[in-house]
Amino acid sequence: MNDQFILVGARTPLPPPAKKEPWYRGKPVVSMAILAAVALGCLCCELFIPKDPAYMDLFHGSEAPNAEFWFGTDTMGRDIFSMIWYGGRVSLLIGFLSTAISTVLAILFGAASGLAPRWLDALLMRLTEIFLSIPSLLLIVLLQSILGKASVVSLSLVIGVTGWTSVAKVVRSEVRQLRSSEYVLASRCMGAGFFHILRRHLAPNFFSSILFMVVMNVRSAIAAESTLSFIGLGLPLEVISWGSMLSLSEKALLSGAWWIILIPGAFLVVTLLCVTEIGNWLRGEGDRRASNL
Amino acid sequence: MDEMLLDVQELTHCFRLGRNRVLRAVDGVSFQMRKGEIFGLVGESGSGKSTTAKCVMNILRPTGGKIRYLGVNICDPKQFRAHRELLQTSRQMIFQDSTSSLNPRMTVAEIISEPMSIHHIRPPRGSLRAEAAFQLKCVGMDPGYLDKRPPELSGGQRQRVAIARALSMGPELLVADEPIASLDVSIQAQIINLFKHLQREHGFTFLFIAHDLAVVRYLCDRVGVMFQGKLVELAPAAELFARPLHPYTQALLSAIPIPDPRRERARVIQRFDPAGFSREGVWTEASPGHLVLRKEKDT
Repeated sequence: MNDQFILVGARTPLPPPAKKEPWYRGKPVVSMAILAAVALGCLCCELFIPKDPAYMDLFHGSEAPNAEFWFGTDTMGRDIFSMIWYGGRVSLLIGFLSTAISTVLAILFGAASGLAPRWLDALLMRLTEIFLSIPSLLLIVLLQSILGKASVVSLSLVIGVTGWTSVAKVVRSEVRQLRSSEYVLASRCMGAGFFHILRRHLAPNFFSSILFMVVMNVRSAIAAESTLSFIGLGLPLEVISWGSMLSLSEKALLSGAWWIILIPGAFLVVTLLCVTEIGNWLRGEGDRRASNL
Repeated sequence: MDEMLLDVQELTHCFRLGRNRVLRAVDGVSFQMRKGEIFGLVGESGSGKSTTAKCVMNILRPTGGKIRYLGVNICDPKQFRAHRELLQTSRQMIFQDSTSSLNPRMTVAEIISEPMSIHHIRPPRGSLRAEAAFQLKCVGMDPGYLDKRPPELSGGQRQRVAIARALSMGPELLVADEPIASLDVSIQAQIINLFKHLQREHGFTFLFIAHDLAVVRYLCDRVGVMFQGKLVELAPAAELFARPLHPYTQALLSAIPIPDPRRERARVIQRFDPAGFSREGVWTEASPGHLVLRKEKDT
């Protein structure tokens, strides 16, 4: 009886979702795990490194990887396995410190330019473009020579000061759009200052669009440090970082000691790849959230 | 009662359109507002109502004229700076479009307490959140909305939040720039009644801008009619609707539909020819408190 009685237009209820999506779906799990392992290993390296990374064991110069020296020794007899973890600290620190410097500079400069009257905005942006047109390596060399002997702080300062321009341009164009919205106007009416508007209204709205560039800046800062150290302008040999380890590589190449180049190089490349992967994911994520809004 | 709060004298604002063209959006507008009154400003779109409001709120700098608020000439940067705190706390504005006047990323509690956090005022009810909850209750919303964000609210609720934000400082002067134009009719009625209620409760002075004459008649004590940047008539609301003097006002009032079919059929819509509008008129007081812009030869 009941079977003949069908309600027109009634829909069968949607079947419950078959399985909950696993939490790692769509996330760069491998990159995150590798990056976390590298960062953790660098931070807690005292716990497990077998040798003093700065000690030069002159009886064991340029030894290939063996049971005692897992990754071999460099030309001065230092244990590469210990140096990798110890030097990673410096590399990562420079990466994050210089990115912090460049991001703060970019946000302040971009927001100031975006909120400024038109002529000042044009002036500031032309200045940025002039700055952008100078090869950054040239600028770094110049600044480095002014600052004198390179240290971790001076190197991050130099890399940070040269790397803010592109982020600043993005911040500026986003602010330019946001400044005419009525909530910024209302906030100004209520007497809000520059930093209040920046923190409460502008930054949350442009943050997702610069997040990708900021993460990429970490990568380029680490790369810049190793480039500089490789060409001899960066950290001196006694400050251990992945870059300064690579600066020994030309000598190593001549003597056929592949491990001196390959192992720090591999760590560097893998770390950069992981950071890039995470940055790429963040960009997609930001776009998705924006379209949900 | 008759204490003057706002005195606008010969206010003029020009927008530059390109190299040689200038649009006189507001042209020699003068009016006074007494403490505690509701002043309506009506006119068709483009007649300079919003520009006047923006000049009063210091969003635009007038090209000419004077605006005195509590005796302070707010167009003078020096005087403005000297009284900045007073001016920014005691004048508040409500915008037309609540979608864009509330930051979509902030919660209702943050939005309502924003003016207090800007001026570092210690909230009288303990915390900023408690203050926001109180203001929300005042505009007839449940405190359960405190953690919602504007996109989750309806248009009427958003406008209520905007009102709560403006009232959280206990303003002396409230400027509302077509606050109901983006709402549908039933919500409009709610918001208008809310305004009326709140005004009686708080006693603020209210500059209300609208193009809906019925609303203005219901809400306002005095009404100013603007046309092409000129204030053409200024009178108490009842007087204006009973005896409109300026031809533009007469045309405007004749366009109101009458909710009675027999009288509606008999209604004659008067036309007002903008070409015949003379900008060089003289303010004449037709009866006490009823001012009208008249051509020289009429007087």
